[in-house]
Amino acid sequence: MVGLACALGGAVHAQPAEKAPPPASAAKQPAAKQPAAKQPKPKKGAKGAKVELAPTIAAINGASVDAAVKAAEALGASPEPAAHDALLDALAMGLPPTVAIVAVGALLQHPAPPDVTALKRYAGHRNPMVRSAAYGSLAMYPDPVARKALVAGLRDMTAAVRAAAAAAAAKGRVREAVEPLFELLARNEEPAAKALAAMADADLARKIGEQFGKVPEPILATTLGMVLKRTDFGPDPARVELVRAIGKMQDPKATAVLTEYVEATPKNPPRASRQEAQKMVEARVGGGGK
Amino acid sequence: MNRLLAIALVVSLAGACGPKSMFRLTSDDNDRAAISTALAKRKLPEQATPINAARAPRMFVVQNGAPKTIVAYDLNAASVMWKMDADVQSRVWVGGDFILTLEGKQLVARDQKSGSPRWKVGIQGEFVGAAADRDRAYVTWREGTNAKPTWIIAGFDASSGKEAWRAPSEGELGAPSVHAGVVLSPFLRQWLYLVDGATGQQLARLRGIDEQISVVRVTSRASYFGSKQGVFALDARAASGKKTEATYGQVKIPPQLDRTSYGVDLYDNVQTGYTAADRARVLWASEPTESGPMKFTGDTYAVHYFRYVFGFDLAGELAWAYSNPRVELVASEHTGGAIVVISTQGDIVALDPKTGAVRQKKNLGLGAQVLGATIDADGWVPPGDGEKVETVAALVSIARDRDARFDRVKELAVSSLAKLPGGQVTKELLAVLSDKRAPQKLKDTVVEMLTKRKDPASLPVLATQLQVRADFIAKTEPESVGPVAKAIASLSGTKLDPKDVTLALAALQGHLDDPATQTPELVMVIRAMAAIGAGAERTVLGSHLLLYHADDDLGADNAWQTAIVTALDVHGGPGEKELLRQVAADPRTKPGLATTIKDALVND
Repeated sequence: MVGLACALGGAVHAQPAEKAPPPASAAKQPAAKQPAAKQPKPKKGAKGAKVELAPTIAAINGASVDAAVKAAEALGASPEPAAHDALLDALAMGLPPTVAIVAVGALLQHPAPPDVTALKRYAGHRNPMVRSAAYGSLAMYPDPVARKALVAGLRDMTAAVRAAAAAAAAKGRVREAVEPLFELLARNEEPAAKALAAMADADLARKIGEQFGKVPEPILATTLGMVLKRTDFGPDPARVELVRAIGKMQDPKATAVLTEYVEATPKNPPRASRQEAQKMVEARVGGGGK
Repeated sequence: MNRLLAIALVVSLAGACGPKSMFRLTSDDNDRAAISTALAKRKLPEQATPINAARAPRMFVVQNGAPKTIVAYDLNAASVMWKMDADVQSRVWVGGDFILTLEGKQLVARDQKSGSPRWKVGIQGEFVGAAADRDRAYVTWREGTNAKPTWIIAGFDASSGKEAWRAPSEGELGAPSVHAGVVLSPFLRQWLYLVDGATGQQLARLRGIDEQISVVRVTSRASYFGSKQGVFALDARAASGKKTEATYGQVKIPPQLDRTSYGVDLYDNVQTGYTAADRARVLWASEPTESGPMKFTGDTYAVHYFRYVFGFDLAGELAWAYSNPRVELVASEHTGGAIVVISTQGDIVALDPKTGAVRQKKNLGLGAQVLGATIDADGWVPPGDGEKVETVAALVSIARDRDARFDRVKELAVSSLAKLPGGQVTKELLAVLSDKRAPQKLKDTVVEMLTKRKDPASLPVLATQLQVRADFIAKTEPESVGPVAKAIASLSGTKLDPKDVTLALAALQGHLDDPATQTPELVMVIRAMAAIGAGAERTVLGSHLLLYHADDDLGADNAWQTAIVTALDVHGGPGEKELLRQVAADPRTKPGLATTIKDALVND
């Protein structure tokens, strides 16, 4: 059993959870012992209460799903490396989907590089909700393996999983996801629009604008409109560029997006982007712009 | 008055009886001496040669149009001799220096060199068929009413068209054939009359004991008779009338080619013209033999089946295949040295009977659609060795043919293809599986054949097939994962290259871990990994079991439970058995899975 589990890519911890935790292996080194560049940041507020390990471990591996879910949350919240190891052990031994969803999320409370192998395994789970949860967690690891796995999630055949991967990519600012997100945008995938809009800096916003002709105009206009609405996006010359990119589009959605921008932006202080948008709207609807 | 009536009645009755017909139910049947004498009257050439007086290999083609056109073609010169518009209602019969056709309601003899009409004879009644030899034309027709029909066979002088003799029959006569002066006239499907072509006198009579007689084939040196079941050589041994004591030949025709026959059905009036029946023929040549069954030349035979020609050995195993591009072959003949076929587009192809090599390919060059043809080329051997035989390509072309009429032929092609070794063949079979328009039954056949092949050389091809994965962005979906995995599993016990095994295991694992893999296919993947893995698969399968042992969907699937437990129990070592025990003891394990494990380990 030990031999088998050790062979499972380092993520499968040999000892059954009821038994004493196994000796620390390279794969199970606590986060502190890993190179700094590979360390994701612990979740905010993840101080964690001290838990009694043995019963919690028994619960996560027990027959009661409710108790296992609670145990997963408790183990995730615990600052003790052994608790984190117990989570990884439980995942390695296989958890029912409902528990696995919580467990992969719980890892993020005190992320450590070995988590990636376990998360990658669950990112291929047959249950779409498990996959979605795994992608959500993978995005928070700077490990290239994690990012590659996350980008693969954008190719998933289930729309909900792709949406989860896209949202995760945006959350983790995963630049490797940009090109696949463009592909999804071209196929009218709304989550890709949201992800790109959330990730966009001036440079990415320009690249999104360059998708004109490759991506259906309504979704492209929507994407750029979402970028325009972001209060943290700027400076204004970058917004002007976006307005002009939207202005190239003939689809009514482009006019609607510009109108929304004009309406949502105060007149003062004056913004060149707003003025340009207003002119375009007036030209299209024959006056009446604000 | 009464006396006059009585006389009239007597005269009438006498007329009804008429002269005694040679066609009757009772006669001397299967008289070996008479048959030998009759056969000895034939003036046979020393070597196989065309019937025509010039001894030149020729083809007489009927082309569609209004009116139709008869085209005479010289096979040696590969050139058209002449073409004539004519209202052709029959096939063409080739004589010495003339050809014979039914044109409208007239039997027309045309000069073979020029195509000009030489003489015409009106046919009264229903035309049954005709034949020609060097000196004469022979015609059978039906007169009278349905209540009292009479069949008549008559001989006509080839030069003048003058009727030389006629013989009536109250029983049904089939279309006549003639072999070097001896007319072969089928009677009531049971008998074959051998009649002197010069006089119309009966020479001998054969009775089919084992089979009816509805088919006659004549070449320059041999003739055959029989039915859809098989053929007898017309030699002295034919007198027995029995398959076991005669020179009898029966080839193995695959069930997919079930429309094939040995020749024209002489009792089917439709077949006096060119029909679809001409497109499904057994093609053969034979050597004379004094004993035993028919000795097929080269121990081979062929079947022309619409667009295709298949060569077989005597065990019925496919030796070669020819697939004509796009259009059907409408006529075919085995000349002894070649199989000559012509397509509806006028392509004339000569194939090597032993290898299927294309020895000659020409085109009539006239454009119009070919309805049918009579090939007078006995003994003809086209020059050259022929192009390389592309049997695999031909079989692939057949298997992937879009024409739904040939679905059964496609199954034959796939079955034959699967018997050939090599990765390329596997690749082609997989292409059939990937073809969305291929019929399901054909795909089922491919799967069955892939499994039966057990060809280690196919493993890399099968593994490559599994490289394609479900990808929403790339718009790809894996093809035939289940069948391919099944084919890989069938390689268990064969000697496999370790590098190929590694490649295949990686590809299989890709689908094992792919959530898009459907459960039935997943089961096949697990079996395949266990079948070829030799232990290298155990870790991966163990991890897979752990991941899903508590899963409500997969974990509760019976087929998956059996597959994964068997893989780890039968193909695993002590570590895997321990893992199974652990999983069985886990309270979260699905009950069915736990039971399956316990059942599997009951003897451990």
